[in-house]
Amino acid sequence: MQSRKRLLIVDDDRDFVEAVSCYLEANGFTVFRAHDGAEGIRLAKLERPDLILMDIMMSERTEGFFTIHEIRLDPALKTVPIFVLSSFSTRLPDFEIPTKGGWLAHDMFFAKPVDVVQLLEKIRQRLDKAA
Amino acid sequence: MSPPDAPESVVVIDDDYAMRLSCGKILTKMGLPADTFEDGAHGLAAVAATKPAMVIVDLKMPGMSGMEVIARVHEIDPQIIIVVITGYATIDTAIQAMKCGAYDFLPKPFSPDELRLIVNRGLERRRLALESQRHEIEQTMLKRRFVTFVSHQLRTPLAAIHQYLDVMQHLDQASDDPARRREWIGRCLARIEELQSLISDWLTLARVEGGTLVRERVKVDLNQVISDILRTYQETAAAESVSLEARLPASAMFVCGDRNCLSVLFDNLITNAIKYNKPGGKVTVSGSRSDGEVVIAVADTGIGIPEKYRAFLFDEFFRIKDDEAKKTTGTGLGLHISKRIVSEMGGTIVVASELGAGSTFAVRLPAWSEPGCSPGPAGGQNDAEQEATTHCR
Repeated sequence: MQSRKRLLIVDDDRDFVEAVSCYLEANGFTVFRAHDGAEGIRLAKLERPDLILMDIMMSERTEGFFTIHEIRLDPALKTVPIFVLSSFSTRLPDFEIPTKGGWLAHDMFFAKPVDVVQLLEKIRQRLDKAA
Repeated sequence: MSPPDAPESVVVIDDDYAMRLSCGKILTKMGLPADTFEDGAHGLAAVAATKPAMVIVDLKMPGMSGMEVIARVHEIDPQIIIVVITGYATIDTAIQAMKCGAYDFLPKPFSPDELRLIVNRGLERRRLALESQRHEIEQTMLKRRFVTFVSHQLRTPLAAIHQYLDVMQHLDQASDDPARRREWIGRCLARIEELQSLISDWLTLARVEGGTLVRERVKVDLNQVISDILRTYQETAAAESVSLEARLPASAMFVCGDRNCLSVLFDNLITNAIKYNKPGGKVTVSGSRSDGEVVIAVADTGIGIPEKYRAFLFDEFFRIKDDEAKKTTGTGLGLHISKRIVSEMGGTIVVASELGAGSTFAVRLPAWSEPGCSPGPAGGQNDAEQEATTHCR
């Protein structure tokens, strides 16, 4: 059997992390949990996940973007797919996904709360494509 | 502008060698890095490169004049404090220099103490200016993003609740664990409570901003208000292993104000004192009268408030981001509302705090005096008693 795929979730809302992680774990993934950007960077480098789920507005307003930027600086993580999960709409005038800063075509944006069934499907699709 | 944590440095520009030497020595002894220059051109180059906190400049120099230096320094950074050195004969010029933006002047000859005094005063003034500037920027940003911020604050707990329910619905039977399910339901309820207090605080805030919060102006006994609140929180405090103590005078402490708002005010302060305390800690509420005022102090034995945060403590949505404080929940509005209530009633609120030892919030309110209250912003007394039950919360 193929080894379990490894996911990292970075979000300062512990309840959100708990719910989503449990669902993904029940569906065969190993999930690492981080509750702030710094912990996210540390776990990304240590565990080398196959895909990262990232919140944006943590204790700093755009902490998630900085975290993504930092993670992408690591050569081994340069192309890891990152799915952004945020309760922000992307269309608000002062909040847009930066066009620069290592944004990759296979990255995706999900509005919170997420439809976990759809999220699971997209994660599987992405990882199958990568395999 | 130099970063707030960079050490404050001073540039001295004077053509007199002895003056440069002695100023340099005194400043270095004060712990301030000091660079000295004999003419305006070199001095200005250094000012542009190092962005010092202060420039001390002789008004009468060959080459570029002191007056020109002042103008150029403020072109580089208007926050730099400028002190001019001048002979007695040119005191008019010194005044002219202050009109051009110099902070103060030092007539020659001056003693080391005089220099130290003026430098310390100038730096203090700069710190205050920088702080209020930073504060203003933050407030402007907050106002601009208010809707975005508020919607995020609302959506976060909603998303968590939604997520739990969504996952519970989609987990297959094999992975569903009844104990975990119960725990999640508990978390959902806690997040719903968070939403409710958020909404109720916002409503209070909206009333504050609309100027309709403090409506009633009647004779209120603070002794009674505080004793009632302490009684309500006896159990909550015991659950946190915190003891509550009242040190109130035996007779009534009458102030003139709105009964409900006063309850909200002391409720906020006392719940904070319980929340940010330590197990085995204590909350002491003491009251006294002095000079036509009633003074209430709410003291806790908690984690204390780092000095850098104290200036922002009463701002809307301000919450300390330290790890210790993160463990408690809050809307960031309680103290802001408290401060607004106190000032609407013509009083003041201040905080004193020691890290690791605790904080004390002291509220001063005008005492009730016969024949009654002077009409405040609420406009007169006793006429709004029937409305008093609903408008604060």
